[in-house]
Amino acid sequence: MLLPKFDFHEPKTLNEACQILAAYGVKAKLIAGGTDLMVNMKKKILSPEQVISISRIGELKKLDTSGDSIRIGSCFTVADLSTSDAIQKHLSALGEGAKNLGTPLIRNLATIGGNLGSARPAADLPPALMAYGAQVVLNSLSGERTLSLDKFFLGPGFTAAKPDEILSEIQIPSLPPHSGAGYINIGIRKGQDCNLVNVASFIALDTDGTIRNARIVMGCVGPIPLRASSAEKMLIGQKPESALFARAGAAASLDSTPIDDFRGTAAYKRDMVGVLTRRTLDIAFREATHRQ
Amino acid sequence: MSEYTVINSRAVRVDTPDKATGKAVFIDDMTMPGMLYGALLQSPLAHARIVSIDTSKARNLPGVKSVVTAAEAGLVKYGVSPARYDETLFCHEKVRYVGDDIAAVAAVDMETALKAVSLIEVEYEELPAVFTIEEAMKAGAPVLHDNYPGNICAEVHSEFGNVEEALADCDLIKTTTFQNKRQDAAFIEPQGCIASYDLSGNLTLYSSTQVPHYVQRTVAMVLKLPVGKVRVVKPYVGAGFGIKASANPLELSACLLSMKTGKPVKMNYNREQVFQYGRARHQFTHTMTTGVKKDGTIMALKHLCYLDGGAYSSFGIATVYYAGSLLGGPYKLPNMKYDGYRIYNNKPACGAMRGHGGVAARACWEQQLDMIAEELKISPIELRLKNMMVAGDVTCNDLNMSSLGMKECIEAVKDGSEWTAKKGKLPKGKGIGMACGFFVSGAGYPIYRSDTFHGTVIVKLTEDGGTALVYTASAEIGQGSDTTFAMIAAEALGIRLEDVRLESGDTDFGVDLGAYSSRQTLMTGHAVKEAAEDARRQVLEVLAKELNVPVENMDIKNSLIEFKQGNVDFTGLRTRYSKEHRGWNDNPADGPLTFREASRIAYLSKGSIVGTGKYKPPELGGKYKGATVGTSPAYGCSAQIAEVTVDEETGQITVDRITDAHDCGLAINVTSVEGQMEGSVSMGLGEALFEEVKFDKKGHVINADLAEYKIPTMLDMPQIKTIIVESNEPNGPFGAKEVGEGAIMPTIPAILNAVYDAIGVRIHELPMTPERVYLAIQEAKKGKTG
Amino acid sequence: MKKLINLTINDQHYEVAVEPNQTLVDLLRYQLGLTGTKKGCEMGDCGSCTVILDGKAVNSCLVLALQADGRSIQTIEGLETGEGLHPVQEAFVEKGAIQCGFCSSGMILSAKNLLDQKSNPSEIEIRRALAGNLCRCTGYQKIIEAVKSVPQAN
Repeated sequence: MLLPKFDFHEPKTLNEACQILAAYGVKAKLIAGGTDLMVNMKKKILSPEQVISISRIGELKKLDTSGDSIRIGSCFTVADLSTSDAIQKHLSALGEGAKNLGTPLIRNLATIGGNLGSARPAADLPPALMAYGAQVVLNSLSGERTLSLDKFFLGPGFTAAKPDEILSEIQIPSLPPHSGAGYINIGIRKGQDCNLVNVASFIALDTDGTIRNARIVMGCVGPIPLRASSAEKMLIGQKPESALFARAGAAASLDSTPIDDFRGTAAYKRDMVGVLTRRTLDIAFREATHRQ
Repeated sequence: MSEYTVINSRAVRVDTPDKATGKAVFIDDMTMPGMLYGALLQSPLAHARIVSIDTSKARNLPGVKSVVTAAEAGLVKYGVSPARYDETLFCHEKVRYVGDDIAAVAAVDMETALKAVSLIEVEYEELPAVFTIEEAMKAGAPVLHDNYPGNICAEVHSEFGNVEEALADCDLIKTTTFQNKRQDAAFIEPQGCIASYDLSGNLTLYSSTQVPHYVQRTVAMVLKLPVGKVRVVKPYVGAGFGIKASANPLELSACLLSMKTGKPVKMNYNREQVFQYGRARHQFTHTMTTGVKKDGTIMALKHLCYLDGGAYSSFGIATVYYAGSLLGGPYKLPNMKYDGYRIYNNKPACGAMRGHGGVAARACWEQQLDMIAEELKISPIELRLKNMMVAGDVTCNDLNMSSLGMKECIEAVKDGSEWTAKKGKLPKGKGIGMACGFFVSGAGYPIYRSDTFHGTVIVKLTEDGGTALVYTASAEIGQGSDTTFAMIAAEALGIRLEDVRLESGDTDFGVDLGAYSSRQTLMTGHAVKEAAEDARRQVLEVLAKELNVPVENMDIKNSLIEFKQGNVDFTGLRTRYSKEHRGWNDNPADGPLTFREASRIAYLSKGSIVGTGKYKPPELGGKYKGATVGTSPAYGCSAQIAEVTVDEETGQITVDRITDAHDCGLAINVTSVEGQMEGSVSMGLGEALFEEVKFDKKGHVINADLAEYKIPTMLDMPQIKTIIVESNEPNGPFGAKEVGEGAIMPTIPAILNAVYDAIGVRIHELPMTPERVYLAIQEAKKGKTG
Repeated sequence: MKKLINLTINDQHYEVAVEPNQTLVDLLRYQLGLTGTKKGCEMGDCGSCTVILDGKAVNSCLVLALQADGRSIQTIEGLETGEGLHPVQEAFVEKGAIQCGFCSSGMILSAKNLLDQKSNPSEIEIRRALAGNLCRCTGYQKIIEAVKSVPQAN
């Protein structure tokens, strides 16, 4: 399988990358891990004239947990996410997503930024990141802006990043005490699978034990990862318990907008949203009761 | 302790050090000087008339050396079975599936070849297409092949005994319908080949094939070459599972292009083309009606089957017969009626795949037998044991179970899985199930009906003495046959395994029908044994003359000559050997006479010592039409027990453990037997749970990659406990018979029965994806509440 | 247009000119003759093209040759030592973990990469670490046995 012909650029700094991208705009594609772009180029779905590798930009590879928010460089690999103690401690649901993404070989190449930027509805990292309230940092020659991940995805393969913008960093606000999150994905087989449905749930408890805040994000059941708004509303102010989580699951099912495709029917995916929402809320609650 | 010195042990395979170090050469690892690269133009439409083909732009592209279409290739019909030669190398009037071959290009590099393919202009007149059995059989449906009206590629009607009469006397009659899905073999190495035509008119084809012999004949026939001018050589092959068991358009195109250009031409399928070419397991729809007596005695089976065949016959005629005939055993079944239909449609052709024709049928029936056992309140094991044949029994369709360790297999898995402690005692969501199966140990007849030997082998002793060279045209495709035959040769000659060197997979070495129908161990094995014994006899005859000792008083063991009746003075021979190797510092000085010395002495006396061997099956049973499919010199058999956990909320199945017992006669290489058993289980598990080739409405494969066509990963496979049961097969070399395909038979039904045990719901359609299981559970709940 | 890159493969330094659209696996196989690295799917699905890139096992069909500039690569050809087979290779041969052999190069490199990072891995750790390497012949049973049997430093 031959790749289309293209020119290759390998900037050393973010600024240099922004300059090259500004020069070529839509004719260019960024490559980091390459696990998505390479496949799309081989299948001739994408034939960019210019390919700009950002994988040698050191500043995009950091993981910084020292400040108020956790900051992850967009070229931080999924493998490193999946084995990072800091991620496991603070963002276990993200770690779970990372562990379940692709294969070990893919995870060693794939990056967090790539998993967001490719904007696949079934991607493993967006649900947990959205559930944690993550923001993305977008850079261009004209400066830097941050955007809530909720507003980043526009459709399959489309994001709010402008043609001259580079996703440089993912910021996750530090988590309140008594909060927790869970992530579950299901596929046909256990290894190396495109998800049928994936759900991440986050809850934060008040001092009286009621749910102060909840975010539930569903993958594979819409053109972009979806918030289960009515399920979230149903949880707020309530005492966490399994019957409530089951009702929230049912509400999330109704919040989802799956379609029939060759991987599965809409009806099945909708039902699974209910099951996974309930199960991830269970996990989130367990974590919340342990996290001080 | 085995009575043998080499076989019946765990030998390190002769090919694996090279494979572990990346040195083993597979087809795409080869290059030749001046080699060109070929590419195919394949139809984008499922059914269309070809109005015109214009290759002028492609021919004019710099770097293009040849463009061939049906005009150059000719219209010789070929296929697998001469009864249904329904393919030509390139389509000339119409295309019948997405991927049907129209033209081929050879160019200086792949990029140019692909560019040239894109420059070939074909005008199509699209025809209505049919993609399912129902569409294809509808009155007035478009016909794929004019001489097969109704799109019926083949039909089989057979009856042994009297089924209706028998059913009338039965206490319980059960009917179920079952369907599997079209599979892909998903071998990891895509097909590829290099053809090289020389100035003397000799054509050598290097190909990733299971059957050099059949490829040789097909190439000669289609390209109108004397068969003696065609040599097919098989490098290491990245597995085949049946799909590489016939000549493919790549091989024929590469040969034609090499003949046109006088240069070597390399061609490969990419992964998408592997799926598009297909030729793997059919989708079968079985409807079976089984009648039993109250005590569980099986009386009759009425069986109707439709095969979704695709655009061409491929192996399909054999498949539709196997789908019926392989239910003749291993249970005593006095009455069996079978009606089978293979239907053409505008999808890639299906063909033969591991467990050819029998896998879905076995799954359907073994599940039905469990349903019957439950209704009769007999344990599934008891029902099977009660009806089981024993060695020497002959099925109603004349399959002779010359050895059958079936009962031993059942007992072995029962004990090995702790069945008794688990069956009926597991919590909801967990289940245990069992099933049996059997398979031919080599097709009794060549694919082209012929009196040919099925295998010929040459064993030549190196003239300097000490090493036996085994030449066989058989095909090592990963199953370990090279090692098996080296072991057989060593055992039969009486020498150590390391004193054997084996070359295989080359039609210049003789005839061998190749690696399909689980035939090589028994058939090639016989020929190897005979050739080795022939060489051994020649050595001993020379020794007998030289030493004046009768042949029967001598033996060869561990590469040493044994004299059974006291000491023999062989110092004269030893001196002669040493004189032949003056100045060498490793000449035998004391101790017993070595095979190295003996074989040198034999050469000095007679010239090259060449032993020959051959094998042809004995006359097999069955005089009825179709008896040639299913009859075999021997049958391997097996029993398996699956343990599963089902997540009833999501429908996800986890197979926790498989216990597998297989009767392979005598295990030549124990490790390889286990390897075949474990590999079979994994393929069966994939078919049971995940695998399905899917098409869009225009006939394109949707999931033509290994991401969306899902074979088991390491995370999906359970621990497999393998137990080898050794009957002694009278028709096998050293008592050996098959393991490569029979071992897949029980896997799917064992899982089906375990899933039922776990959730109380029967599933009659594969694969058991989470959604299908979930829906079945929901349906059952509705049934109970509604 | 071709560009010159420098890379280390199996401890040997190479300077080669590559096209921008050339993959690492094609560079290894067709330009450098290191055909032990196989191509089974070219889409990152099967793992037969696995190489170890700067200490991490990756699909070399998803890496551009240019991205390997300045980096260190280990292929199956680089595992053997002066004393013979690498212990992982030895274990695969001894345990019968190789059948057709087409996945073996990648499987062995993934196993080596795991053992480099973790001694005495549990069975589930082995299954997780090798889940990107498909094998259609063995059912994985003997591969797992082989990995378990590799002698460990501690």
